Amino acid sequence: MRQTPPSGSHPATRPRIGAGTSSLTGALVLLALLAFYPAAFPSFMTLGVTIVLFAAMATAWDVLGGWTGQLSLGHAVFVGIGAYAMALLVLRNGAAPWWGAMVGVGASVAVAAMWGGVTFRLRGPYFALASIAVAEMTRIVANNWARLTGGAEGISLPGLPRFLGLDLFSRQVEFYMALVLLSLALVVAWWLQRSRFGYHLQAIREDEDAAMALGINPTRDKVWAFLASAALTSLGGSLYGIFLGFFEPRGMFSLDLSVQLALMAYIGGAGTLFGPLIGAGLLVGGSEVLRIYFPGKSLFVYGVLIILVVLFAPDGLSTAVRRARRA
Amino acid sequence: MVQFVQIVVNGVFTGGVYAIIGIGLSLIFGVMRIVNFAHGVFLVVGMFTTLFFFERLHVDPFLVIPLVMVVGGLLGVVLERFLLEPIARAPEHASILMTVGIGLVLSNVLLFAFGDAPQIINTRYSTSTWHLGPITFSTALTIAFVLTVVVIGGLALILERTDLGRSVRAAAQNADAAELQGINTRRVRSLVFGIGFALAALAGALLLPQLFAHPSIGPTYTLKAFVVTVLGGMGNVAGAIGGGLLLGVTESLGAAYVSSSYRDAFGLAAFLLVLLLRPAGLFGRSRT
Amino acid sequence: MMQTLLALALALLLLGTAGGISGAAPASGEPIRLGAISSLTGSFATFGSMERAGYALAVDDINTAGGINGRPLLIDLQDDTSNANTALTVAEQFIRSGVPLVLGAYSSSITKPLAVYMARQRVPLLNSNSADDSITKPGSDYVFRVGQNTDAYVKPLFALFKQLGGIKTIAILVSNNALGHSVENSLVTQAKDGDYQVVFDQAYDEGLTDFRPVLNRIRDIGADVLAMSSYEADAVALMRQIKEVNLNAKVFAGAGATGFAIPSFLKGGGEAVEYVITSAAWSPDVHYPRAHELFARLKAFMGGVEPSYHAIRSYAGATVAADALRRATTLTPEGIRETLLATRLTTPFGTVEFKDFNGFHNQNPLPSILMQVQRNKYVTVWPPDVAVGKVIYPTPVWTARK
Repeated sequence: MRQTPPSGSHPATRPRIGAGTSSLTGALVLLALLAFYPAAFPSFMTLGVTIVLFAAMATAWDVLGGWTGQLSLGHAVFVGIGAYAMALLVLRNGAAPWWGAMVGVGASVAVAAMWGGVTFRLRGPYFALASIAVAEMTRIVANNWARLTGGAEGISLPGLPRFLGLDLFSRQVEFYMALVLLSLALVVAWWLQRSRFGYHLQAIREDEDAAMALGINPTRDKVWAFLASAALTSLGGSLYGIFLGFFEPRGMFSLDLSVQLALMAYIGGAGTLFGPLIGAGLLVGGSEVLRIYFPGKSLFVYGVLIILVVLFAPDGLSTAVRRARRA
Repeated sequence: MVQFVQIVVNGVFTGGVYAIIGIGLSLIFGVMRIVNFAHGVFLVVGMFTTLFFFERLHVDPFLVIPLVMVVGGLLGVVLERFLLEPIARAPEHASILMTVGIGLVLSNVLLFAFGDAPQIINTRYSTSTWHLGPITFSTALTIAFVLTVVVIGGLALILERTDLGRSVRAAAQNADAAELQGINTRRVRSLVFGIGFALAALAGALLLPQLFAHPSIGPTYTLKAFVVTVLGGMGNVAGAIGGGLLLGVTESLGAAYVSSSYRDAFGLAAFLLVLLLRPAGLFGRSRT
Repeated sequence: MMQTLLALALALLLLGTAGGISGAAPASGEPIRLGAISSLTGSFATFGSMERAGYALAVDDINTAGGINGRPLLIDLQDDTSNANTALTVAEQFIRSGVPLVLGAYSSSITKPLAVYMARQRVPLLNSNSADDSITKPGSDYVFRVGQNTDAYVKPLFALFKQLGGIKTIAILVSNNALGHSVENSLVTQAKDGDYQVVFDQAYDEGLTDFRPVLNRIRDIGADVLAMSSYEADAVALMRQIKEVNLNAKVFAGAGATGFAIPSFLKGGGEAVEYVITSAAWSPDVHYPRAHELFARLKAFMGGVEPSYHAIRSYAGATVAADALRRATTLTPEGIRETLLATRLTTPFGTVEFKDFNGFHNQNPLPSILMQVQRNKYVTVWPPDVAVGKVIYPTPVWTARK
């Protein structure tokens, strides 16, 4: 006989992390602490920027993945669009990178609207497969449309204008920009936890037909979530492009990147406020630690860890910790 | 005209191998509702197992196949028992993550065991051909195709005629109803995953004589497997055959006649269209 | 009197050579530390292990010969796990710890962001093995490349064609990636300059298992030369299938090195790869000083595995770095950058100097060599001053072989 799933394992029955001011305070404290990172770890700025940036993008991914239940494995599309839009406008039009980032957001939102509108009726793994196809197609186009994107050889950013007198290539500046983006993503996630829209999304995720009976329009709501997710991810992509200074289609539109974002959200806890952030910290920080202490074996250990986390905390670590604390 | 027939024939033969990869994935999805992201890595495990026996025992790769399939099957059963069964009731993303993790671990184990240089084997028939009129057939590819047909035929027989096969089909249709009928779905799941792994390993063994083995080539084949199963319909084993052949032939025709580098993008666009317009696959009947 | 002087001279000579290869005492004291970044794990690990061997042997040789003006050289080799972000993290730590020069990386997709970062930090990056032209074109003041650019692989082929004579038409088949397209462009340009006719030009996608359809078409069109560039390991599959479909040509050319120039090409290819001419950065039998000896030692270091030219290039890179360090007045990034510019060194890899030409900046203008597979061995056939054997031309048709 089918057993009823243990309580707390289903996202709807999962208690929302203090859906009130406590989580807001928590977020503010966290962000304040992170603001001190550059002073505390000046030799590890590359790592710091990577963690915060990926935390922001994973949180953005989660707005779609964790909240609507539509598992996207093609989010790298938005990362790439953000990066390329930013770079191309800088190189071709001499525009400042934030204009390019805005164009990137526009393009990403357009792609999400088209893609989501058409594929949201695909359930579960079909949506994931479709997302992989979309990302691959974009990669191939970027790879071959050399006149627009520089083709397989990629794009280099030799120089950028200063922003309010700040050097955009300084890791410190990049760190704070990433922190601002993370704050924005967290605000969106926190708002979802408290708002009616977030409630709609949960209802849709649990039982789309029942939600429709309640008068909710699932496709429209999911598309809005997708747009927000795409916009935030795209901003992350623009910053990522600045951070790397050079990128190519293979790296920017890669399946690996998409899987990483999903992994971070799930391992930390999808649909939660801090889950993706925890996941990003663990996966990025963890790989660096593994690389140093398990030279030559780090990827193997990484794989083993993923298996262990999925076995023992299939809802993500933050949820497991919460459950352990209440037990 | 002859050239065209030649190209199609090549495509059909290659498509047979793709079908084997797709059938394994389709079965796993049909019975367990798991999208196995490690399927390509299973194929690579098959390649290296074949390589191992070829180099240690000096046995012809095609003769080693039964052994390779058994090894693959056992590995599949063990993985299912210990890593997938515990999360059978967990939300669907858990199985995706788990298979991603399994893929990573397996490919790294292969890297430790066999090193990082591409492994190419040389057999007596690596380049030999035979002719039927104006059409040339590659010996290695022909043998692979024949074996493919034999295995698929065998699988079909098992699924249709044996109790075991019926249990598998029942579990695929409706797992709860199957349980009610007294079918041990736990055992069926282990079996199916074992069969899936064995089939992927078989495909690896068939491809090794013509290509090369390297621990990192798994993802390419996982993607091909996905395409085949979507074209054929997820869970539709017969459809996977059609899907595999279709992929093989279009790849051949595309490589020969389409000089655009957007070739693959067209293929993916077609894949998306099928997904959107006929989610049950080109060869499937609509199933809820 | 003469006898005493002679004896004294002999004694001094003996004392001198007892100290080591060049007669200097082994290095001692505070080591000079350089950073090196390579892909020891992940998808590029094959080449990472080659680079590690090259660096290790170079450091041994350098230190045995007295190190850097007496001080030992230490190369701190770190793994980038075939990931650009990791490479950037490692580079940051190198720079903060005061390393004046970094060697690496292997893959262009990692070297390029690394180069952008290091140029901004004003610390020189010495690259040996990355292939993309754009690394040194336009490049930067802080990026130096020991390895050849794409043109250097293609031009010698055309020089050879000219000498062989009887070649009019060329068919091109390349991998659909940056290297492939780079080779393709180079081939097309050279063909136009030399009045050759390109009768077929196509790229194939990664993961293609069956080349027969394309090869059949090329066979039906017919060409004197089939010039190819492949992904790493499908060069063998290409040649096998060429044999199967009975595609003949006067020359089969591996124009993009890589797949055609690694040991597994010979091992796996068997009779299908006989007579293939491939351009390579270097070859074990080439007549550069101490080349054979170095090859044997690298092979021993790698436990019997044959090193590819990547190992030799890394060896050369480390040697060049040591040379620059020796000539530097201050061991700072700026100081070393200046001495690097003045490099003119003969290594077992060939001569290394950094020049500006054709839009390239700080690029070693060394041409590649051409090897032909003869009796399942690579034989260097070009350029004439380092060649060991003669080209077998035209390539015998398949049905006439063996």
